[in-house]
Amino acid sequence: MKFAKLFFLMIVCAFAGASPAFAVPSYSRQTGEPCTSCHYGGYGPALTPHGREFKINGYSDGKFVLPLSVTGVASFTHTAKAQPEAASEHDSRNNNFAIDEVVGWVAGRILPHLGTFIAVEYSEIERHAELDHFNINYTQPLKIAGKDAILGVSVNNAPGSTDPFQSFSEMSFPHDSSSLVPEHQGIPLLTDGAGGQVIGVNPYLWFDDSIYAEIGGYRSLSPKLIDKIGVEDEFGKISGVTTYGRLAYQKDFGKQVASIGLVGLRSRVHPEREPGPTNKFTDWGLDATYQYLGNRKNIVAANLTYLHEHQKRDFDVAEGDLERRGHNLNSVKASVSYYRDNTYGLSGALFSSWGTRDTDLFEAEEGGGSRTGKANTSGFIIQTDFTPFGKEDSPNSPWMNLRVGLQYTGYFKFNGAAHDYDGFGRDAKDNNTVYGFIQVAL
Amino acid sequence: MRKTAQAAVLTALIFAAAVGVPHGSLRAAGDHEAGADVFDAYCSDCHSVSPKGTNRKGPTLYGVMGRRAGIVPGFAYSAGMAKSGLTWNPQTLNNYLANPRGMFADGKMKKGLPKPEDRANVIAYLQRPD
Repeated sequence: MKFAKLFFLMIVCAFAGASPAFAVPSYSRQTGEPCTSCHYGGYGPALTPHGREFKINGYSDGKFVLPLSVTGVASFTHTAKAQPEAASEHDSRNNNFAIDEVVGWVAGRILPHLGTFIAVEYSEIERHAELDHFNINYTQPLKIAGKDAILGVSVNNAPGSTDPFQSFSEMSFPHDSSSLVPEHQGIPLLTDGAGGQVIGVNPYLWFDDSIYAEIGGYRSLSPKLIDKIGVEDEFGKISGVTTYGRLAYQKDFGKQVASIGLVGLRSRVHPEREPGPTNKFTDWGLDATYQYLGNRKNIVAANLTYLHEHQKRDFDVAEGDLERRGHNLNSVKASVSYYRDNTYGLSGALFSSWGTRDTDLFEAEEGGGSRTGKANTSGFIIQTDFTPFGKEDSPNSPWMNLRVGLQYTGYFKFNGAAHDYDGFGRDAKDNNTVYGFIQVAL
Repeated sequence: MRKTAQAAVLTALIFAAAVGVPHGSLRAAGDHEAGADVFDAYCSDCHSVSPKGTNRKGPTLYGVMGRRAGIVPGFAYSAGMAKSGLTWNPQTLNNYLANPRGMFADGKMKKGLPKPEDRANVIAYLQRPD
């Protein structure tokens, strides 16, 4: 029965459209460039320097074509031990086939210097559609001190979504992962927080192909609008303006490129959307990226990030939910990918997060809770993938791309402990996950 | 015999002076295979050599040798290149690739190939990319 369901899902993905989260063939049709020009490995969202520049140029390079695409992901998820409860309302405790997402895109050049990256996502897991990505960018090329520069402004719905280096957002490795597994707690706001529930305006500058500077301000959408666009209102209401900043330096050595950068986010939130005390979040992070592209036959890409978050939970203390006001979260991730002929990929990552112990904030709960009051989680990811298309000489270029992959996530610690982390006897390794996926982009 | 050789050398020197080699000498013949690697590394994001004649961020380079600059249909050239009247041959291409903005200040291509051997090799490749 499950295999029949998978077969059905594959058919749906192949013909109705499905794909990896962020590979958009309408950009390829617009620029005349194959996927490999902008994405190492031949499939999004990992960006080459050329892809970073396309994003910085506001997705507007090339000519106007109908800026529509459809992408989707179908998957199989297996955890080492079945979860205490069903992974979702429509799935089992283990060994689940699913359509993670089918996404309709309005992505491309609208006018000279004006482009979009807008996505409406349907999740078969949640049986629900929502406005996912929303980026409208306008850019203007100019000269500063005789050097080329791009001045741009982005209207978007997620802090960090504008980042051309993609170090901290969901576009960083592993790009796609199962949503049918327990999610560890203590994830910084910048990584997973306000997306979709806010609207921001971010001016940015790209100077001399080397310096990227961006600042943004975000306000909350109204509950009515959030409901209309299908997003879950879980963040609350921003008090004042949430500020976001990014500064990065890139050095292009020709066949290889490296970058270092800083990121920051500051937000005060009324979780219940009522006046009064707020919870305050201050995030800052460092990142370094490296890509050896050579003649594109052997590509190595590496990424290192550190993110720190300080929380001051005045609201939670005033409500009597917490006794402790100040909390810290830290996370580190290092990833390396190798691609042969932009077709055969092997990637690996190590990750670790740790922070303040608080048994009120991180409570024992079967499956997803913490016995120790800590969110500390660490582990590794290994992924191999196959991307047969996406090149200039691919038979269906630039109309269709495909990736098939197998990913394994292993945990050393989960929510504060290796053994009995939830207080109900579940070990971190019980959440070790095999995730097989097929991604299609049309 | 000796006079003939001297005359040949003199003729070659006069020709070289007349043509000018402003950005380093162009090797007699680049390495086609090495040129393919240079093209893939530095040019292929923006240029195609497919016989389909696809324009990307830059115009198609299929059949570029012997073609007048700025005439590929469907590509919006800078005013400087469109009006240049230049014809692409190994020498003009070598000069251009050494410093694209030096030749066309308003040109769209920012980066060239600073190494003479890279230019010689990619020029050899562009003469018969298929």
